[in-house]
Amino acid sequence: MEASASIKSVVSNLKKEFTIEFRNRFAVNVALSFAAISTIAISLALGGIPISPKMKAVLFWIIMFFSAMNGLSHIFTREEEEGTSLFLRLNVTPESILSSKLIFNIIIFLLLQIIITPLYIFFLQVEIKSIIPFLLTLFTGGLSLASITTILAAIVAKAGGKGSLFTIISFPLVLPVLWIVINSTFISLDKQNYYQYNNLLFLLAFSATIIAVSFLLFKYIWLEE
Amino acid sequence: MISILILTDPANSDIHILQKNSKMPKNKKLFHIKAELLSKKYLKFTVFKNIKFTIKTGDSIAITGPNGSGKSTLLKLIAGIEKPTSGVIEYFYNDQAVNQEQLIRYLGFISPTISPYNELTGLENIQFVIGSRDINNINTEELLKRFELYKHKNKRLKYYSSGMKQRLKLLISILHDPPILMLDEPGSNLDQNGKDIIYSYLNSERNKKIIIIATNEEEEAKLCNGSISFN
Amino acid sequence: MKIAMLVYILMPLSIILAFLWVPPAQFLGEASRILYFHVPVAMVSVIAFFVSGIYSIIYLYDKEKKYKLLEEKSFNSARIGILFTILTIITGSIWAKISWGTYWNWDPRESSIIILLLIYLAYFSLRSALSNNSNKNMLTSTYLIFAMIVVPFFVFIIPRVYPSLHPDPIINANREINLEEKMRLTLLISVISFTMLFFYIFNLTNKLSIITDKIEEKNYEE
Repeated sequence: MEASASIKSVVSNLKKEFTIEFRNRFAVNVALSFAAISTIAISLALGGIPISPKMKAVLFWIIMFFSAMNGLSHIFTREEEEGTSLFLRLNVTPESILSSKLIFNIIIFLLLQIIITPLYIFFLQVEIKSIIPFLLTLFTGGLSLASITTILAAIVAKAGGKGSLFTIISFPLVLPVLWIVINSTFISLDKQNYYQYNNLLFLLAFSATIIAVSFLLFKYIWLEE
Repeated sequence: MISILILTDPANSDIHILQKNSKMPKNKKLFHIKAELLSKKYLKFTVFKNIKFTIKTGDSIAITGPNGSGKSTLLKLIAGIEKPTSGVIEYFYNDQAVNQEQLIRYLGFISPTISPYNELTGLENIQFVIGSRDINNINTEELLKRFELYKHKNKRLKYYSSGMKQRLKLLISILHDPPILMLDEPGSNLDQNGKDIIYSYLNSERNKKIIIIATNEEEEAKLCNGSISFN
Repeated sequence: MKIAMLVYILMPLSIILAFLWVPPAQFLGEASRILYFHVPVAMVSVIAFFVSGIYSIIYLYDKEKKYKLLEEKSFNSARIGILFTILTIITGSIWAKISWGTYWNWDPRESSIIILLLIYLAYFSLRSALSNNSNKNMLTSTYLIFAMIVVPFFVFIIPRVYPSLHPDPIINANREINLEEKMRLTLLISVISFTMLFFYIFNLTNKLSIITDKIEEKNYEE
């Protein structure tokens, strides 16, 4: 009975998150606008000058990183801003809250990637030599980014969530992910039939660890001491 | 049974006890809350000190006093939303201890600072809580009619008047039929009709629950059979 | 205090050894003496980080509040840590300029010390943003724990992704981590004395925290 109650709770919460996001579309709009503007700005500034695959990989993930910064912290700060944080705290268990917000952020970020990537490929004339590794990197990198940003969003929301605090505290912890994911993307742009899975394993391990520790520590962040 | 409230040496307020008699609850779900030496400081400013009480099912307590005297704080402390600076508060359901994490199952809480989702409709908010709490066998339609919200169930909360919001908040807080109901200024923002609806609900549930109301209104204090007043 | 005595003896000793006793290295010459300061400072900046992290973990576990001021101690360690991190960067840059010609190269170890600096800065930013929050200690502690968890991932990546410029080989002719006897001894003493220095300063700051806390309590009670 316990498990099905939790699943029901998580589903309810997910439904709520998606409904709200669909109705005011704030996070998605901001992130997408940012990504679109950056991509176009870069393409414009380059004016057709070719850049190396390494450079393309780097720029791609910089755009991804800042899109995440713009779009993913919203999930917790909007609860605080609208006064629904206590409402949530009184009606839903912390585990369900974290699960639903984590799943939501992961799905939203993957959606963002699905939209941003073709845009980027189009504007910067990116040629992908190994498609499957590229997509796998995209997915695992997105998973890692979404996991770490969710728990940090929870922390920052309690701190008032203003301005660039979220970016300041996220950047150092996201760096390992960026490093690996840029390298992996670069190789998939550069070499054909590239199948090296160490990087992907690293990212999956990272995501798993972060998610596990998030569940352990979420209570301390969410509930008052 | 008469509960005894003993209060010693409050830091900056006199606290008086007014106790009338309370009735024995008819069903077997007995809840009781016990607090000892409860005190709260905000960054070393003492709000209250050394509060002690025992509250049982069937008691309805009004916390009264001027604004800023600590009524809401005490309410939040009992609800577990804030922690006391020192002292202990314990909860027992049928004599089994209940810890803070489990408390949300037994608690309904309404306050001006707690708001359901403005972007969701009344009905969606209700369904959200029903799903989150895994509530079964509930007649939502009947409840909506009782609180006169049936016509507005498909309107988003941001279009509700403050009176409608208040009634919805109460409705949501009782969906899981909590043995403890805590209300912070329930009558604020309500017209007489709204107040009647809420007070009649409280009256009907008084003997089966613990009801704690933080209020300035005499009408609400009269609903209760005990009180703590901060002066 | 025993630690004070140790520091007062060891520190001057290691300075004398580093400048007067130990012979200069083969390729770098006199400039190699910076080794005896750069390595210990780097080690201390990492130790300080882990000390902060451990205090954070204990803080979360200590539900009965048996130990006091754990979060303040974590903060004290972090303050010393960031100081040593900056020193590491400075001494490292000087050495880099002399050995390889440029002050900064994004060599893996250089990158990791920058990460450490960024983590410290993030921690301090978070802490000040939370200054009015009643849950401040919990939040800063959890952040530090996450930082601690991410660090091993970093340590794992770095050697694999980039070849290292960091010159264990340059100290002597063979490409082995082989220091001559005297150098090894000096380095050891230097490391110990800087570590003792860290704990000495840490101790002092903790005492200061206790006193400050008591003064605050008195102020509010009036």
